[in-house]
Amino acid sequence: MILHIDGLYKSFGDKEVLKGLCMDVPEKSVFGFIGKNGAGKTTTMKTVLGLIRPDKGEIRVNGEKVTYGNTATNRYIGYLPDVPEFYPFMTAREYLTFCGEVTGMEKKAMESRTDELLELVGLKDEKHRIKGFSRGMKQRLGIAQALFGRPKLLICDEPTSALDPVGRREVLDILSAVREQTTVVFSTHILSDVEKICTDVAFIENGVISISGKLSDIKKRYRNDKYILETETPEGICAVLKAFPSAKESGGNMLTFSEKDESVKEIMLFLVENDISIVKLEKAEPTLETLFLEVTGK
Amino acid sequence: MRATIVCIKKEMTEQVRSGRLVILGMVFVLFGIMNPAVAKLTPWLLTAMADTMAETGMTVTVSDPTALDSWAQFYKNIPMALIVFVLVEGAIFTREYTSGTMILSLTKGLKRYKVVVSKALILILLWTACFILCFGITYAYNEYYWDNSVAGSLAFSAFCWWLFGIFVIGLLVLFSAVLRSGMAVLGACGAVVFAMSLANMAKKITEVLPIYLTEGQALICGRVEKGSFTAAIAISIAISFICMAAAVLVFNRKQL
Repeated sequence: MILHIDGLYKSFGDKEVLKGLCMDVPEKSVFGFIGKNGAGKTTTMKTVLGLIRPDKGEIRVNGEKVTYGNTATNRYIGYLPDVPEFYPFMTAREYLTFCGEVTGMEKKAMESRTDELLELVGLKDEKHRIKGFSRGMKQRLGIAQALFGRPKLLICDEPTSALDPVGRREVLDILSAVREQTTVVFSTHILSDVEKICTDVAFIENGVISISGKLSDIKKRYRNDKYILETETPEGICAVLKAFPSAKESGGNMLTFSEKDESVKEIMLFLVENDISIVKLEKAEPTLETLFLEVTGK
Repeated sequence: MRATIVCIKKEMTEQVRSGRLVILGMVFVLFGIMNPAVAKLTPWLLTAMADTMAETGMTVTVSDPTALDSWAQFYKNIPMALIVFVLVEGAIFTREYTSGTMILSLTKGLKRYKVVVSKALILILLWTACFILCFGITYAYNEYYWDNSVAGSLAFSAFCWWLFGIFVIGLLVLFSAVLRSGMAVLGACGAVVFAMSLANMAKKITEVLPIYLTEGQALICGRVEKGSFTAAIAISIAISFICMAAAVLVFNRKQL
């Protein structure tokens, strides 16, 4: 495990944000950390970085314990805050050079790393100072600086939330491109982003992790035997409902039924015999959205 | 060590590109020129006004200005220059708290004390350079127009005032580590200096207060002895060190 969190508690005043959060991030995964706004995602990440002192609990990064303040574990971590802010008076190249110098990198290695990363995030030909950068550009530079020291763990706090669709696409592409080199943990409330690139997920709700694991396993676990049938006309639905009373109407010429009640074959046969034209008949795959809503109890 | 130098370089770049260095330079040069200029022009202005004054029954006697008049101006103006310095540089820490720029460097493993050390050093360096600039310009003009030798303990009085600036920088660094907003830092520094000027009224403790270092005017006129500054110098140096050390300790535990 590259990141291991055990029983993390944190309150701000009388507001309890984390209530015994436990989480494990396997190496070389793209880990989606999902939760509503205010669920405690940022607090968790900042605690991992030693920027917030937890009330209780233990965090280990690459097996080493995280301490508040000057934590040595940060040498394994690259961090991208939700709204990364850089020194506006520098150019992208100067900023990355500054990052390299701060971490004490060799000059040669630093220059080649800077070139490599600027190329990766598409800022190679950008000569302007950072103060004129768009949000998307800042976000991309943010990824570059986070990756600078070849971290074992890349932590991104809502990297796509503030971006337009193009910017989001770019950031997601970069994140999935770097998964070969590092483990990526990113928090988000945009579920389609998670479905696009994540291998593992954890849902945070009310200060604890409610579900976590491999995305495919979770989907399998929550997969049900439900089917959705949509016909072209309302009459078609009525006829099916009459013949198969256990099916449930779900509005808009659609109904759902469960395989344990009705055999799919029989329904198909019925549709053919009665000449009912359909729009679709499909197995209901659980989307993260339905999962998310289920988890958050809405 | 290397990381500290990198940080100092970064601070310097910021001073240059943000225009703060130019502002400070202009202010201190202006004050430096103003001191002898005011000393030179005051008699001339008074003579010009003498006739009108005479009509109202006032007689004006104009004595020739000396270097002492110019130095008197210097010690009258340098507090203003220090205030400008603090206003311009007061947000050197807090600006990074509000923007969050510091978090990125710290999460890369930059030791926190290096941030404090580099910022404190750049402040000391700037104050020293600005002070020398202002002092030097006044000195040069005075030497050209009059004779600096009439002012006693000139270098010593300047050192005392410079040290007072360092003391204020110590306060600035400490309050920047403790507080979050630039206004609060300025307020706290102002409050300490104000409290000292109040305490200064109690004649018994005058000589141990760092604010005693600002009595340069009295020093060059020979109204006070050099020896009377020993306590204030020692205490100011001690407080400045304590402030910087405390700032490092506080900053190490600060939630950013």
